[in-house]
Amino acid sequence: MSALRTLLAASDWRSWAVFRRNTLVFARHWRTALIPPAMEPVIFFLAFGLGFSGFIEDFSYRGIDINYATYVAAGLIAYTGFSTPYYESLYAAYFRMFYQKTWDGILATQVELPNVVWGEILWAAVRGMVNITIVAVTIGLFSTMGLVDIRPQFLVFMPLLGFIAGCAFAAFALIFTAIVPAIDHMNYPVFLIGWPLSLVSNTFFPVEPENPLLFALMQLNPIYHLAECARGLLVFGDPGSHLLGLFGSSVLWLVPSTLLAVRLTRRRVLGD
Amino acid sequence: MLGLLGANGAGKTTTLRMLYGFVPPDAGAVYYDGKRFDANRSEVKRRVGVCTQDDSLEYDLTVEQNLLVYASYFRPRVQSLHERVARLLDRFGLAPYASQSPQVLSGGFVRRLLIARSIVHSPGILFLDEPTTGLDPSARLDVWELIDGLRAEGLAVVLTTHYMDEAERLSDELLVIHEGRGIAHGEPHRVIDDVLGDHVVIVPRNEPARAEIAAWLRARGAHEVATVLGELRVPVSKEDLSALTARFADATWQVRPPNLDDLFIALARRNGRFE
Repeated sequence: MSALRTLLAASDWRSWAVFRRNTLVFARHWRTALIPPAMEPVIFFLAFGLGFSGFIEDFSYRGIDINYATYVAAGLIAYTGFSTPYYESLYAAYFRMFYQKTWDGILATQVELPNVVWGEILWAAVRGMVNITIVAVTIGLFSTMGLVDIRPQFLVFMPLLGFIAGCAFAAFALIFTAIVPAIDHMNYPVFLIGWPLSLVSNTFFPVEPENPLLFALMQLNPIYHLAECARGLLVFGDPGSHLLGLFGSSVLWLVPSTLLAVRLTRRRVLGD
Repeated sequence: MLGLLGANGAGKTTTLRMLYGFVPPDAGAVYYDGKRFDANRSEVKRRVGVCTQDDSLEYDLTVEQNLLVYASYFRPRVQSLHERVARLLDRFGLAPYASQSPQVLSGGFVRRLLIARSIVHSPGILFLDEPTTGLDPSARLDVWELIDGLRAEGLAVVLTTHYMDEAERLSDELLVIHEGRGIAHGEPHRVIDDVLGDHVVIVPRNEPARAEIAAWLRARGAHEVATVLGELRVPVSKEDLSALTARFADATWQVRPPNLDDLFIALARRNGRFE
């Protein structure tokens, strides 16, 4: 019952009040908060996509030949959809919790802890959508220049795909936010989990494990499904079964991560 | 206005946190107007205002936005919110800074904003956790005036403080907490009498019989013998004072009524935090 109540708090007005607060702060600093992080995947695309593609021959993807820049374009959508909410929930949320005491102030009102966690999750997922939109616009521009061979009309779906996965990544990151003793320890979830996970998810290169256990684990990875979903839509106009995989794996991450994040954050913030 | 008083670690802030629902009590329950807090959390929290020790202001927002955003955490919504915020800004002397970040505010004005924020939703009871800690004397007086004004308007206030003069001047009643339990409750002078007795004897550091007096008082059951900058300060009853006068007729000491400083020192000694 308690777990269900925690999950249903996502639709509570109090969670959206926290979300609105984060939106308002973002609106005050959108230039500095938005442009540098959004430039990262664009630079990645220029370096890996356009830079490397000159050295890599076209290769077969689901029966047709595509160039590497086209392959990476979809990968960057997935990478952005993962990294933006993940880092937002690690660093920005930690600052709000620990340094700014923002959550302490909020929790002295009618807002309860699950609402704060959900407000952070929803906000981080929307931040992911915003950054995906910037990357999608950039890819669209490269498409008009003939640098990538995609169906640009499907770029409009990319932020929506990113939202559900973004919620899962944000909830997952909040677990670490609740347990790291100090900001320096964020290196562990960043370099030991974030980076490896985003690299073995068909983002920058195909990973096709023959080991059935590794294959099964890959099916549980929302970044992999997000990358393949985006690639399927942009190349073929069809996400295939990865759309279901994206929703399924995202929910599988989101539900336990949220419950655990609420529990650990309660212990951290309220000492309960 | 109720003042919660106690030494460091006595449980003032924890008590306050339980009262406004930040942490659940290990045992027992909190009631507001006969309603159990944990069974009516949202309804009760709508009527409660909280000003914590920590500065949890939003430095990325303006002073005015701090009030508006905080009000958004309450339902039913604050009626005529913008007018309410304008009135608070004016009353707390914050109007000139309304469109600026709280970063431009001095410590005293930060505290004003924190208090204004905690009453933006017109609560019926306000919890103030050490509202003047770290402020200069002038800023403290300003905050006292504001708090006193809120009390005069009928707002119930629960205050924790380390400043004895603050507790004495602002509080109608005191609750003295020691190791998480209330040990005295009532009007300030009565609480002092209950905990300390009738008088405080101060023996100067250069009095030759100082150590002998201390030993004698301890032998008569005085547990709160404190040394402050070499002076001996001992709360005593009328009877002990008479006996002391008879026993050490040639010694020099002063006698004065006990105050909240003495109470605080006595509590600190009981807690083992004062030598």
